[in-house]
Amino acid sequence: MRPVDLARKLRREAAFEPSALDRGKAALMAAIRRESEPRRWPTIVPQIPYQDVTAALSFLERAFGFREVLTARLVSSDGAIGHATLEFGSGVIGIGPEGHHGTMSPKTAGIESQYISVYVDDVDAHYQRAAAAGARIATGLRDYFWSDGGHRTYEALDPEGHRWRFHQWIREGPRS
Amino acid sequence: MVSSPPDAEVIGRSLDEPEVFGLIYDRHAPTVLRYLGRRVGAEIAEGLVGELFRVAFERRRTFDASRVSALPWLYGIGSNLLLKHRRSEARRLRASARMAAAGEAADERATAAAAYDARVLFPRVAEAIEALPDDERLALLLFAWEDLSYQDVAEALELPIGTVRSRLNRARTRLRELLEPDGKNKEKAR
Repeated sequence: MRPVDLARKLRREAAFEPSALDRGKAALMAAIRRESEPRRWPTIVPQIPYQDVTAALSFLERAFGFREVLTARLVSSDGAIGHATLEFGSGVIGIGPEGHHGTMSPKTAGIESQYISVYVDDVDAHYQRAAAAGARIATGLRDYFWSDGGHRTYEALDPEGHRWRFHQWIREGPRS
Repeated sequence: MVSSPPDAEVIGRSLDEPEVFGLIYDRHAPTVLRYLGRRVGAEIAEGLVGELFRVAFERRRTFDASRVSALPWLYGIGSNLLLKHRRSEARRLRASARMAAAGEAADERATAAAAYDARVLFPRVAEAIEALPDDERLALLLFAWEDLSYQDVAEALELPIGTVRSRLNRARTRLRELLEPDGKNKEKAR
């Protein structure tokens, strides 16, 4: 028997539900409608500089769960990413190579000049995901409370040292 | 009957009229869903097919309009999505090996020795496919399970055809080692 025929012996059809294709089509058409509608862009969009934009993009998706808006990517003639846009919830950020618009990555500058706050539904799950993807944890999970509620947060550094603070709102008082 | 326009034309039109892209789904989703199902089973495949076409839709500007069919391109996007499901893929492959061996054993024309061989051989084939580097496994399964031509595999994986040929040859060599009695002994001796 030839090797390819051997591999072919292990081909096995899956048994699909009759509606399997309908659900995929619905998901596609929903994505198409989202693009056709004018995008509700936030009025403030942080633009973040990196030495390695491709690596940063992959990290932000993997570690933090951000999603690139693929139609918004700009690619320069040498194939490098000139600018990419990422969404998370109702928020949007842009990332691009440092040196443009007077910006510098903390990896080059040796200092962070700001941090970005991101509000998530489940900060513990987010922490696990980020840590597993290799994010450097600057401050572990902690609860903060005021008279009217509080939040649970942690801070992580991305591969170039940008600081991200993740928050989850919590309503109940401190556990004693 | 009006002949329907080729994929490249449909995708071109979808740049201005996004809804038109639904036609690409209608044409190719059944084929692509079956592919995903063979690789990771029905449940995951059903979840992936929508994502696959959503990614394709978002990337439709990058589709090479000189290609006749969008199918290899869709196979390529699907193959990339499948890389996140390696564990399910391995599980399915091992189950398929057991079923293939059982099928062989139930065949009345097969000798007891052949059935025994199948019981030993198929799990080893599954293991060997699983152990292939991602790029060789993708090329092999597109070729062997989907019956794609070298040219189509090259388009799907966005590789030169020579690279596809060498990957398939490497994959064949690894599988052939399993079939040779010496190979088996060497394996045991290790």
